[in-house]
Amino acid sequence: MRRRVSICLTALLALGLLGAAAARAAVGVQIDSPADGAPIFGPTEVKVQVGAGEPVTKVEIYVNGKLLGTMAKPPYTLTVDAGDENVKRELKVVAYGPAGVIGSASRTVQPVQIDDTMDLKLQQLFVTVNRGEDRALDLDEGDFRISDNRKPQQIVTFGKGELPLTAVLLLDTSESMKGERLEGVRRGAKAFLQGMKPLDEAALVTFSDRLLQITPFSEDKQTLAKVLTKTEAAGGTAVNDFLYMSLKLLEPRLGRRVVILLSDGADVHSVVPMSDVLWKSRTGQAMIYWIQLEGGEKHHSYTSAWRNAGENDKEYETLEKAVVESGGRIQRIDKTAELEGAFRSILQELREQYVIGYYPSDVRKDGRWHDVSVDVRRSGVRVRTRDGYLDF
Amino acid sequence: MISNRARVLAALALLCVGGTARAQDPNDPFSNPASPAVTATDNGQSGRPSRREAMDEVQGRYRQILALWAGGQTEKAVNDLIALEESVVRDEDAGTKKRLLKAEEAIIHEIGAANLETLVPVAMLHHDVYRRYLEKGAKGHSLLLAHARGMARDLAILYQEQSGSEGAALVSSRILTSLGGMLQQYAQQLPAAEMFYRAVALDPRNTAAMMGLCIVYEKNSQYQSAVDLLRKIATLDPAYSEARLRLALNLKRLGQTGEARKGLIDLAESKETGWVTVLAAQELARLYSEQGSPAGAQKVLEAALQRFPNDARLYVELAAVLDRKGEMRGAQAVMDKVLALKPSADDSSRLLYNTTRQETFAQARQFLDENARSRLSLLAEALSVPNHAGIAAERVGS
Repeated sequence: MRRRVSICLTALLALGLLGAAAARAAVGVQIDSPADGAPIFGPTEVKVQVGAGEPVTKVEIYVNGKLLGTMAKPPYTLTVDAGDENVKRELKVVAYGPAGVIGSASRTVQPVQIDDTMDLKLQQLFVTVNRGEDRALDLDEGDFRISDNRKPQQIVTFGKGELPLTAVLLLDTSESMKGERLEGVRRGAKAFLQGMKPLDEAALVTFSDRLLQITPFSEDKQTLAKVLTKTEAAGGTAVNDFLYMSLKLLEPRLGRRVVILLSDGADVHSVVPMSDVLWKSRTGQAMIYWIQLEGGEKHHSYTSAWRNAGENDKEYETLEKAVVESGGRIQRIDKTAELEGAFRSILQELREQYVIGYYPSDVRKDGRWHDVSVDVRRSGVRVRTRDGYLDF
Repeated sequence: MISNRARVLAALALLCVGGTARAQDPNDPFSNPASPAVTATDNGQSGRPSRREAMDEVQGRYRQILALWAGGQTEKAVNDLIALEESVVRDEDAGTKKRLLKAEEAIIHEIGAANLETLVPVAMLHHDVYRRYLEKGAKGHSLLLAHARGMARDLAILYQEQSGSEGAALVSSRILTSLGGMLQQYAQQLPAAEMFYRAVALDPRNTAAMMGLCIVYEKNSQYQSAVDLLRKIATLDPAYSEARLRLALNLKRLGQTGEARKGLIDLAESKETGWVTVLAAQELARLYSEQGSPAGAQKVLEAALQRFPNDARLYVELAAVLDRKGEMRGAQAVMDKVLALKPSADDSSRLLYNTTRQETFAQARQFLDENARSRLSLLAEALSVPNHAGIAAERVGS
């Protein structure tokens, strides 16, 4: 299923040194951060010093020629979104005085240097096809067309759900889950475990603001179920951290990988931002299913000492995005009694997915996003699968 | 002596629960100490006790409860006061709260006039009753919650204003601090802020109230206000590591990352082994990551894991840093270690940061308990002097 290719990537120190030389401009504009030669991704703090003696009206930040931010007064520090692609970037800052440009500085930031042996992975797509309310289970390989960055791909493996499953049941057992809700969680997770087939494996993780319990991956339903009986509800919620952990635990596994997150999704206490979780999800092939216990209502904004309402809303939206992009889905639950059914329906859906594999025709390992689309040559069907992946 | 007593009574009438707003209400008998406290509206022909009789009964029971409190029967006093107040006040009838207030106020007039210091243990009784109401939940008790909180708050303010001493300011400041702490514990940030603000005004060295206020600022994204306050705390108590941590994190939010980084380094490298140190390491690593220095983040997290090898979150954060550096296998090896961790029974450092920890206010409460206890004999003495307030009130009226 995998082709293993050893890739030797040379250090790009020379370019880094060139970047350092360019960082200090003659007119006293200096980039203090990001550090020389450091790779940058996503939200990146840019810190600039402008020498004394010149009135400064603004300082602009450009990445690869695109204006990403403007600072009107000192301290000239601003966090900009540098994007998630693993590419070399030209960072430039330009200082303006009343009469125009008074100085500038630039720095070349390098892509991540991969120091490991890497695997060229078979891209596996887990495709759910519905016809009306029912699953369309009568399709063959010839019915599917796969595109990767709009280029047609050759299907090399095709299956109908017989591939074993590796799941992380990631269960939020924070204080708000006490009582009937926790009982519902236990019943739901047990229902999932009971539905596992030989060769399926699961790990159980219960969390709140801290890791409460974690098991290794196991086929032993009884042992896993026993852990559930010890589960108690306590503490706050840190979805991001433990979702990242779950995706990471699934990374070295093969085949159909899935995280089933049960939570209201209101992260309060994580240190890892959801943008990192999204990035992790995009680099892997695991699906995320989210059983959302929020009474089926719209997400309510909240504040904490960690994030304001707007920032929390963004985290929530990014979680939704990660779930949908991964090919999973969000199942909103109104009542605790519905939990068992929710777990069962997800397991059923996983069993009824088509598993399609292809080797992408244009692999560059440049960290760029690949759009993936799946078309079915039948009328009246709806198709759901992963939106794409980051090419690492 | 008479002049002082008159001053106390006048202030009691104006301030005690409801304060200035009530003093402007012409229908409120307590806005004029010379007027009768209550007016009978039921002539007794219905078979039910008249309002006046009901008021007398409530006053009698309240007096008995204060006597229990003064005698050291604190648990019974609290339970009896709750029972009394619940029998009088109903959430659907705001007038019931007003009647309870009048009844209790009449007794407070009496004992406050006898000795101003008695207001401290009485305030503490209402303070403790308020705590019980909070524990029971607001459902069906919203008026009682407001009443108990208002009694404790207004008695604290009145005591300080009438005494004018520095000691009274310290006591009152801590009553308000403790009330603020309880409010904050139950996520009532704005009423808590009011308490903390008044407490700091009474005692500008009250770091517990300042910390409470700072948390309100943080939760309302008022980072500059938080920083200003935290700088004061850090000056007053340089060893207060939580204050230094909050200062660093709020500076970071304001973009003052140089000072933030320095503060976080000091904390992360300190010999302390508590939650502040772990959190400082996490946030320092986060800052390095955001500044494009994953190597710096890695170094901080690896050092922290040497000291705190059971903190799952440190492993997760380190794995995320290594992933971003492209060291996927190293990240995997770090993550595999999590599988061997024992379940954690302690609240995480990040939860503690976001939670109002009652330890912050423990010192204030201990101070209050001691002060209230030392005045119980005065309260007992005041309760054995009947009608004292009535005589004094006539003098004020004349």
